[in-house]
Amino acid sequence: MVNNVEKEIISIISDVSGFDEEEIKPDTNFFQDLEIDSIKAIEITVAIEKKFKISVRDEDVPNITTLKQAVELVNTLINQKDTA
Amino acid sequence: MLFAMVLFIVIPACRESFFKKSDMYDTIIIGAGIGGLVCGCYLAKAGMKVLIAEQHYKPGGYCTSFKRQGFTFDAAAHIFGGYKYGSLGKIFKELGVDKKVEIRKFDPSDIIITPDYKVSFWGDLDKTIENFQTAFPEESNKIKEFLYFLFSPEPNSFARIRSWTFKDLMDKYFEDDKLKAILSFPILANAGLPPSQISAFIGAKIFKEFYLDGGYYPGGNMQALPDALVEIFKESGGELRLSCLVKKIKVKDNKVTGVVLGDGEYISSKYVISNCDARQTFYKLLGRKAVGQDFLNKINSMIPSPSMFVLYLGLDTYFDTLSESGTKWFMLSYNIDKIYRSAEKGDFNNIDIYMVHVSPSNPKSLLAITIVSFKSKKYWENNKGKWIESFIKTIEKHSIPALTKHIVYKDAATPYTLYRYTLNYKGSARGWACTPSQLAVPDLRKPSFAQNLYLTGHWTTLGMGISGVVYVGYDTAKIILKKEKLGYNY
Repeated sequence: MVNNVEKEIISIISDVSGFDEEEIKPDTNFFQDLEIDSIKAIEITVAIEKKFKISVRDEDVPNITTLKQAVELVNTLINQKDTA
Repeated sequence: MLFAMVLFIVIPACRESFFKKSDMYDTIIIGAGIGGLVCGCYLAKAGMKVLIAEQHYKPGGYCTSFKRQGFTFDAAAHIFGGYKYGSLGKIFKELGVDKKVEIRKFDPSDIIITPDYKVSFWGDLDKTIENFQTAFPEESNKIKEFLYFLFSPEPNSFARIRSWTFKDLMDKYFEDDKLKAILSFPILANAGLPPSQISAFIGAKIFKEFYLDGGYYPGGNMQALPDALVEIFKESGGELRLSCLVKKIKVKDNKVTGVVLGDGEYISSKYVISNCDARQTFYKLLGRKAVGQDFLNKINSMIPSPSMFVLYLGLDTYFDTLSESGTKWFMLSYNIDKIYRSAEKGDFNNIDIYMVHVSPSNPKSLLAITIVSFKSKKYWENNKGKWIESFIKTIEKHSIPALTKHIVYKDAATPYTLYRYTLNYKGSARGWACTPSQLAVPDLRKPSFAQNLYLTGHWTTLGMGISGVVYVGYDTAKIILKKEKLGYNY
């Protein structure tokens, strides 16, 4: 499951940024390494919400700056949804 | 300044290895609006073989100009922004648009005239801030804070507030209802939506690009902009076909293979980029089989932005008061939601939001625009004349006394006219309505059901106006070039 989430998020980031999936590592910084700007940050957030049918809280967004953080957050939200 | 000079190095990667030999083009772009042209320029400059197919006999989309009885009019777009601080300036310089056309700026770019205030937007940001602070001294600090936020947000600030409306943003910063209305007015005027409906991100973008860094105009008329892009595109090896309607986008095994033209000619291509109306793209060009009924239902439930009524007047005299700024906006009341509802209803006796503009090169050609909904073809056939007369009377009453006796030519574009020339659904002026729920829909950028198909332009839900579509056009090209390992360095 974890791997699938990571794979899906990598695919989203690759689509939005144009960077190859292989270039997106757990610690890659979206803003410094992948040229993510305000528009792309919105695109990624919205795409993740739609893909996993979750809703990311506004206050959690500033904490998503790397793939690792995004995967952790999505897993947490999926678990919350499943147990809800 | 030295670093602002951009060196464009095309890396001549072995193109042949990337594309099937049998493909006639590497990329076909549907629609020669500004977004499609910018995208085409970048792809062609990087060595791709690109065809742009445009159904109209002129390139430019909403950014065209035309001549009638000696008067030259800009058809719809009449100004652009984002040249100094936004991505548009960087992109135009990178492509060399500034070498092809002189780019001028009105200063102030816009003046908003309300029953109590006259607020100007100056090229010097501090002067604009002072202007607002003088009018609303009690909100002084907040005004500065807000405007600085627009210029230097954290990269994910807007992702955080992606579900906010512009009204939410206004309420976070300000108390004074008149100030909030004045700051929201440009959003309604340009996006056709009230602050309570438009996304905070798009509203902020409009405010920054259209007002705080707005008022730019190409030498000659607006047509000079697409014409310059076409020149750059062709110099880079691109091919443009005008009066060339695309009838179908062909998809095989979930991947695009090319397009079919109006005359039945099939042209193969690795990538297809649709810069035309999104409903048309999905309903007509791709069709239910390729798209799926679920997605069509989703598209059917989406709301387009309103249309506009554009009045063209040829005058026998100059009005000095008009040429002192780029655009004059007349805000006849502070109730923005009411203004919107009345515009949506579309009563020609009740036009309470409009702008008046004369172009610097053609100061006797007056353009006035108001927001309207599409209604029907028949409605406009029957009522176009009434709208023209009533709009003239409104302008005469509130803005230009004795206007009528100086008119030697008059005509207008109704929403149906806009549809006819651009095929934008319901004559929509700005693509999808930029509400938070319609912001950044992934399938409207890169549909998941057809590989190598991209959308660009104002139907991508990411930006509108010239600066908006320039960014999306550039970014679409950038994504494809990255994928193809075809690049450029600065």
